[in-house]
Amino acid sequence: MTCRELAELLFEYIQGELDADLCEHISRHLSDCPLCVAYMESYRITIQLTRRLPPAPVPPELAERLQAALRSFKEQEGSEF
Amino acid sequence: MGLRVFVRLVTMANMEADGKPLSPEEVFRQYAPMVYNLARRMLGNDADAEDVTQDVLLQVVRKLDTFRGESSISTWLHRVTVNAALAHRRKRAHRAEHETHDPLNHFLEDGHHAHSVRPWSIPPDQEILDQETHQLVEKSIAQLPEVYRDVYVLADVQGLPNAEIADMLELSLPAVKSRLHRARLLMRHALAPHFEEVLT
Repeated sequence: MTCRELAELLFEYIQGELDADLCEHISRHLSDCPLCVAYMESYRITIQLTRRLPPAPVPPELAERLQAALRSFKEQEGSEF
Repeated sequence: MGLRVFVRLVTMANMEADGKPLSPEEVFRQYAPMVYNLARRMLGNDADAEDVTQDVLLQVVRKLDTFRGESSISTWLHRVTVNAALAHRRKRAHRAEHETHDPLNHFLEDGHHAHSVRPWSIPPDQEILDQETHQLVEKSIAQLPEVYRDVYVLADVQGLPNAEIADMLELSLPAVKSRLHRARLLMRHALAPHFEEVLT
């Protein structure tokens, strides 16, 4: 297995979607290739960092705009509210 | 009637602790951040995201007839937001084109890494992102080619299941997985120079 082949299989490897035979090939490659170990670990960290992104606050201008849109909609809806 | 039904549906899933239903203003306030953040990350542009957010919140009200109640409000809002963001992007006069770049080009023909790969200095279990890291990740997402960015945002930022993303974007499940993998590789490549340990 080459480093590129391992990189192609990372998604399924991390998801646990590969069969035992391929997992064994990957484990053997990793035990002998520190570059691929670093590559796989940084792939995992990339996912983790993204999952921890905080939401951006709604800009005050947008909040005002939404309030105006809501008021306008309610007026169109007449006596519903 | 639309708004009333919408509010009722949302209210059913979002009663406040004291049992009081949410007002329409609270409903808009509660869901605007999710819609705005998803649109902003898909479109990579604040002004477009604001337009989409307003469109979606009003569209949600008008499209209630199509909501059959089998999915949660959150799932439904994701779907409506994705559709609106894609439609907005199609309407853009000058769409920013990104070079579609294959992250697997960073390997030599014999399959070895083309460049050295060093461990990252950021601890993998760091719970809260500092401002600089946060901005780096956001910037890297914004620079992803759209074909990969949509899947990446829905999967790794929003945390939606791949099958749901496939349904939303009208892609096969293998296509979603392939795009997500390539997006992750591109993100890894974009972030690596900032996090790789410095050689001493």
